[in-house]
Amino acid sequence: MRHLGLNAIAVGFGLLLAGLFVATPAFAQNGFSATYDSTRPVTLKGAVTKIDWVNPHAFFSINVVDAAGTTTNWAVEFGNPLDLEKDGWKRTSLHIGDVVTVDGILARGENRQAFAKSVVLARTGAKLFTASSQKRAPAPAGPTPRWPDGQPRLGPPPGKTGYWGAASASGLVETTATPIPMNDEAILRNIADADRAAPFQPWAKAVYEHRQRNLLKDDPFLHCLPPGGPRQFQTPHGFQFVEQRELGRILVLSGGGDRNWRIIYTDGRQQSQPEEEVRTYYGNSVGHWEKDTLVVDVVGFNEKFWFTNGGLPHTEALHLTERFSRPDLNTLKYEVTVDDPRTYTRTWKGGWTVQWVPNEEIQEYFCEDTAESAY
Amino acid sequence: MRRRTFLQGCILACLGIASSGLAQQGHPLSGTWTGDWGTSPVKRNLLTFVMNWDGKNVTGIINPGPDAIPLASVFVDVTNWTVRIEADTKDQAGKPVHITAEGKLEDIANYHRTIRGAWHQGAVNGDFKVTRD
Repeated sequence: MRHLGLNAIAVGFGLLLAGLFVATPAFAQNGFSATYDSTRPVTLKGAVTKIDWVNPHAFFSINVVDAAGTTTNWAVEFGNPLDLEKDGWKRTSLHIGDVVTVDGILARGENRQAFAKSVVLARTGAKLFTASSQKRAPAPAGPTPRWPDGQPRLGPPPGKTGYWGAASASGLVETTATPIPMNDEAILRNIADADRAAPFQPWAKAVYEHRQRNLLKDDPFLHCLPPGGPRQFQTPHGFQFVEQRELGRILVLSGGGDRNWRIIYTDGRQQSQPEEEVRTYYGNSVGHWEKDTLVVDVVGFNEKFWFTNGGLPHTEALHLTERFSRPDLNTLKYEVTVDDPRTYTRTWKGGWTVQWVPNEEIQEYFCEDTAESAY
Repeated sequence: MRRRTFLQGCILACLGIASSGLAQQGHPLSGTWTGDWGTSPVKRNLLTFVMNWDGKNVTGIINPGPDAIPLASVFVDVTNWTVRIEADTKDQAGKPVHITAEGKLEDIANYHRTIRGAWHQGAVNGDFKVTRD
């Protein structure tokens, strides 16, 4: 625990509270566990010197004076701007020069950085950047929306808005009878479960365990690189399908990550030969409908990213078969078959469901690699 | 001078961040590795490995070009990331020479990860270090 004197009082909250901190925040973000040490609570008080209202993480800086009168500047992370704005907070909720008290947890290592669990404005006593206590009402149930020819719509019903939000699983693992316990960042509760995550080749298991043991700190996604593969459907700010039937293609717009898009061609073309094309983060996607299920064949991935939360490795030989179905208005069922013989000993399947967010659009989001988040 | 040092530090930091973000994330040995081997710190020979994981074996060559040496075998122990590379070449007199490089893969998550260890070429013993480009 850090001791910082009169104006920077490190407070031990006790084992009970420390235990509570071990769980990642409800708004879990990629890289949280790698960045912050939940066992090191801290209280900081000082004047705000800078506000960075940027994605993926908002920061402010404060000057903290210790008992010896020495001033140090601290970076304090306090959430994601889109989530904060949903709860009614704005960049102007805090001003440079405001004196605040921060209760939070320290970053790993020696950096003067903390994650704020609470921020109190000294002059009013008001708590800033708190999550809304009003829970979002569940989306009203309804049947699968369909086009006039009966094919399911993957976007909103006519005249409505909406997008696909939270996934039912935090990471991709092979579907088994017994779920593998993991946290909201797809870090295994028990590293011994790595064997069950996927049928790894030995090198791939070693790489996966290395990433897990390092709390996913080397994740390229943390540097705003695209979330290709299944990960596209597990990012914090959701995604949207734009079906351009007249053009024979479906656009997948990412609400999270680097706010990129992917094209699924449904015009009957043949899959490309990856050896002859530039390999990309999203690969080349060719889809067709099998009754009410969109089946998408994807090849041509590069090796510059992690294709799942949790850090499963892959090579350029990765070949995905994705199956999307919408059993009702509010549910998207996603299943993926992973075929990468250079990484796994056999093909395997995983998947999850995604919840519809009605009457909203995905928000504008640009992942900006801040100095604080990239340390 | 201080400002110049600071700027150089910033540039290096930026390069470090960029390279970590752009790393090849597949099999840790795949790619082009450059460095040198030698019998002393001053007697060094340029060395390039090009290696590729095909799903069963790591294949590749030493020093690409007209005199490239094909790798006979590459063994990696993933429990400790030790690597053993073997190849066969000929000396200037045309006599067969066996090469064995035994090293350790360091910092597998780093784009500029390294392999360093012992180099044996015929009767000559030395050391080597290569860094992934």
